[in-house]
Amino acid sequence: MKTDVLIIGGGPAGLSAAIETASRGLDVTIVDEASQLGGQLNQQTQVMRQLPSVYEPMRGFELANKLIELIKDCNVRQLLNHRVVGFYADGSVGITDEENVFPVKAKKIIVASGAAEKAVAFPKWTMPGIMTIGAAQTLINRDFVMPGREAVIVGSSDFAMETAIQLMDVGIRVKAIIEKQSGALAKEQEKVSELSRSGIPFYFNSFIKEARGNGQVEQIDVALPDEVITLNVDLVCMDGGRAPILDVFYQLGCSFGFQEELGGWVPQYNNRFQTDREDVFIAGNAAGITTQGPLLLTGMIAGISASEELQAISPAEANEMREALWKELGLLEYREVYSGRVKHLENFASPVLKDQFIS
Amino acid sequence: MDKTTIICRCEEISCEEVEEVISNGGRTFDDVKRITRCGMGPCQAKICTSMVAEIIHQQTGLSPSEIPLPRMRMPLSPIKLETLATNSTSFSTVKSVLDEVELEEGKVR
Repeated sequence: MKTDVLIIGGGPAGLSAAIETASRGLDVTIVDEASQLGGQLNQQTQVMRQLPSVYEPMRGFELANKLIELIKDCNVRQLLNHRVVGFYADGSVGITDEENVFPVKAKKIIVASGAAEKAVAFPKWTMPGIMTIGAAQTLINRDFVMPGREAVIVGSSDFAMETAIQLMDVGIRVKAIIEKQSGALAKEQEKVSELSRSGIPFYFNSFIKEARGNGQVEQIDVALPDEVITLNVDLVCMDGGRAPILDVFYQLGCSFGFQEELGGWVPQYNNRFQTDREDVFIAGNAAGITTQGPLLLTGMIAGISASEELQAISPAEANEMREALWKELGLLEYREVYSGRVKHLENFASPVLKDQFIS
Repeated sequence: MDKTTIICRCEEISCEEVEEVISNGGRTFDDVKRITRCGMGPCQAKICTSMVAEIIHQQTGLSPSEIPLPRMRMPLSPIKLETLATNSTSFSTVKSVLDEVELEEGKVR
């Protein structure tokens, strides 16, 4: 199979890159391992207010539907239930439909592989009933399955706070929020106060010492600063933060830079969202963990840059659009994430060997 | 971290085993992997990479940017050999480990 642009990942960033490229008449193929486009948006029921100006505030799954509708208008080849297996020396991408593996030759590749959640390890954390917050969110919002009745949340990021509220909305009792730092990490303090108001205790400087149970979590010991308390729970949702998914970039031979604010090791890229392999572009959480609005913007910039290289848009026009999108990115993105991103770009432009990892 | 804590759930590698490799000089995820099989199960190190990096950081004081990423080989996720073999006569999915050897003027660099 041959295509102008291959987009790996059909989440918000991949979809917005698809819209930018396909709407300019390019032949675009999007590959995703799920049976449905939209990625994590499909289980996000919270309202997203900080979206790029072309979108009005809406819930995550509504945004997914909107993006899917937009790409329908521009004829994008969709390879759903397909996975990327690896990359071959002749430049082709190996994709499987679970029956066979076939090569796809693309002039440009946009990788929007997203992020993976990190777990929080404590004795017996591998027991059933202990899962990441994203897994709990998927169970309630996508699969309509109650993951438990009495829960604790480990971590206090925005994502953890949102999930805590969603768990309560479906009737799960949240018994405590456990945070090892001395205060809540969520940037939207509104959600923290909403949870405090409903009487949920926040245990700061605290961590789970041990979980116990017979075939499933039944009890946890929580180490508070001055005592250890025991809680009876059948669900522990842990939030260890998220990290970019890098295996595709590693296989492509991209270089990486370490940037704490973006989630650790991140592929290096320039202000066109182009990696050190010139035919490979990057978008979304893979380019640094951020929020929904910026995810869409990074996908748009990558799509515009790929379109420019394929002469579907003039350099002057592309520059103008990129500039406007970067400006909007600066407005929508949390300040420390944005400045981390700017630093990441600078490090790529003038690399210091010790901060760079070349696969 | 408690020594009994499982770090690699696929291969059931405990924190103690990871720490032992580090105290014997291990400084990267791949060092730990080669000695313990940590990260060699079905998930292919998708969960334990960051935890091992954290243990290396805590035990040696190396900053996270000094702890390199593990090597990520194809296939990127588990696949049936039958599928990987394909029925195609024009396309071979087989990639030799020799592809990773870097040659310079016909000799291994």
